[in-house]
Amino acid sequence: MRRTRDILAPLILVALVLIGWEAAVHLFSIQAYVLPAPTRIAQVLVSDGRRIIFPQLGITLFEILSGYALAIAVAFVLSVLIVYSNAFRRGVLPLIVASQTIPVIAIAPVLVIWFGYNSIPRIIITAIVAFFPLTVAVVTGLQAVDPLQLAFFRTLKATPVQVFFKLRFPIALPNIFAGLKVAATLAVVGATISEWVGASSGLGYLIAQDTQQLNTARVFAGLVVLGVCGMTLFGIVSLVQRLCMPWAYARPRFRRQKERIPVPQNAAVSLPSAAAGTGS
Amino acid sequence: MIDARLHISGLHCSFRGTDGDRIEAIRDIDLSLRPNEFVSIIGPSGCGKSTLFNAIAGLLHPDTGTILLDGRDIVGQPGHVAYMMQRDLLLDWRTVLQNVTLGPELAGAPLKEARAHARMLLKRFNLEGFEDAYPSMLSGGMRQRAALLRTILCERPVILLDEPFGALDALTRASLHEWLLGIQREFRRTMILITHDPEEAVFLSDRVYVSTPRPMRIAGVVDIDLPRDRTHEVKLSPEFAEHERQVLALLRSEMPPEAVDSGVRLQ
Repeated sequence: MRRTRDILAPLILVALVLIGWEAAVHLFSIQAYVLPAPTRIAQVLVSDGRRIIFPQLGITLFEILSGYALAIAVAFVLSVLIVYSNAFRRGVLPLIVASQTIPVIAIAPVLVIWFGYNSIPRIIITAIVAFFPLTVAVVTGLQAVDPLQLAFFRTLKATPVQVFFKLRFPIALPNIFAGLKVAATLAVVGATISEWVGASSGLGYLIAQDTQQLNTARVFAGLVVLGVCGMTLFGIVSLVQRLCMPWAYARPRFRRQKERIPVPQNAAVSLPSAAAGTGS
Repeated sequence: MIDARLHISGLHCSFRGTDGDRIEAIRDIDLSLRPNEFVSIIGPSGCGKSTLFNAIAGLLHPDTGTILLDGRDIVGQPGHVAYMMQRDLLLDWRTVLQNVTLGPELAGAPLKEARAHARMLLKRFNLEGFEDAYPSMLSGGMRQRAALLRTILCERPVILLDEPFGALDALTRASLHEWLLGIQREFRRTMILITHDPEEAVFLSDRVYVSTPRPMRIAGVVDIDLPRDRTHEVKLSPEFAEHERQVLALLRSEMPPEAVDSGVRLQ
């Protein structure tokens, strides 16, 4: 019951927005290059989908996934260094933070000069956009260990490697997955904007081209495809989380019984409101 | 004492406070336990009892003093005694079976044998049928029993129990007391219990050490002269009441007088 309602509610909302949008475009005779109607966007998706949009999507998808993978690898290495090395944390962490204030789009041309007109600079840009929130999440997770737990592992003579894999890492998993979800959507954004500079293919490039040519309907069609991409990636990460953390979804078998104050027979008559209150 | 399992003498512990001064936590403690004895340490909260356990467990270095386990010096060396801390510290992501075999697993013992051994003991710990449950599915009493099974399976001769039943309700606690005594006799472990509860201390122990407020010293020792096979009915006997009275009198003598007069409870 609740699940169907969870799915139905956003669908109804989207449907209402689309109907309002469609009506507004026709009612106020808005030009298609300013704001195309949803039906027009759907038409373009069908007519240009297989021929133009999806081949470009394949290129962008490759950049998204490669950049995401690179971001994950970099984030984990950095996080372990930050957690275990005071020198690294003091020396390098401020530089990483500072690097986040530089707009990626500004360093994109430099990367193209270094690596050429291929997917490598775009994968790097995708990774740059996605790695930082993931690193913050992983560091937070790895540091979330209870000092009492660490002391307990010391009494068991656990090695540092055992402490990492059997204590710190499992404790960090909820934070890690939160970071992975944020990074998944950022990877889609990163790959798209990476194609705005020094690229001649990809969905981001197509959107940039269509914007210049006022082919606004296809711009929207491209955005819809990217949105679905991001949501799918997010969903896959959520699914992996469910598989990796079964304990977080386990239902308590012995839940503490709700405290119930016994109401004497005669008191129940004089206090009908209190008796009704315990039932809820 | 030559036949002592655990022998502590002249133990002093202090640590640096937040303002840089040295805070004396433990002053000149002597303790001696024979094999398979059950001994309690009772005292006001914050008196340094946990510091004493941390020193025995090798987690902190005392200023002076010796700690001998079967005649061997274990000062500053973790891993010689099993330590059950105030919270059960079960790992949420592991099932009951995976939790209780943590000790052998970290020691590199063959997992299959450890699991088989644990499965055999689950029934004795009233956890049968819960081997694949996660700790979040268990009640407070079940969690403590799982934590104790994990401690037993560490296979150490001495077990330190730091207020293991503090967070449980009175009924659950009372039922666990009798059961714990049975476990202690059956598995032949030497146990030291930290507690705030005189009744718990008298019921479980062969001997009760009463400690002073910080810095912690031993104010007195009460030998519990009750049969070793005890049931909860022993609590109604005059001997039990007399032992409890002795413990309380020692505790009171070490409390600041105004605290006693105003009826401040020993927590």
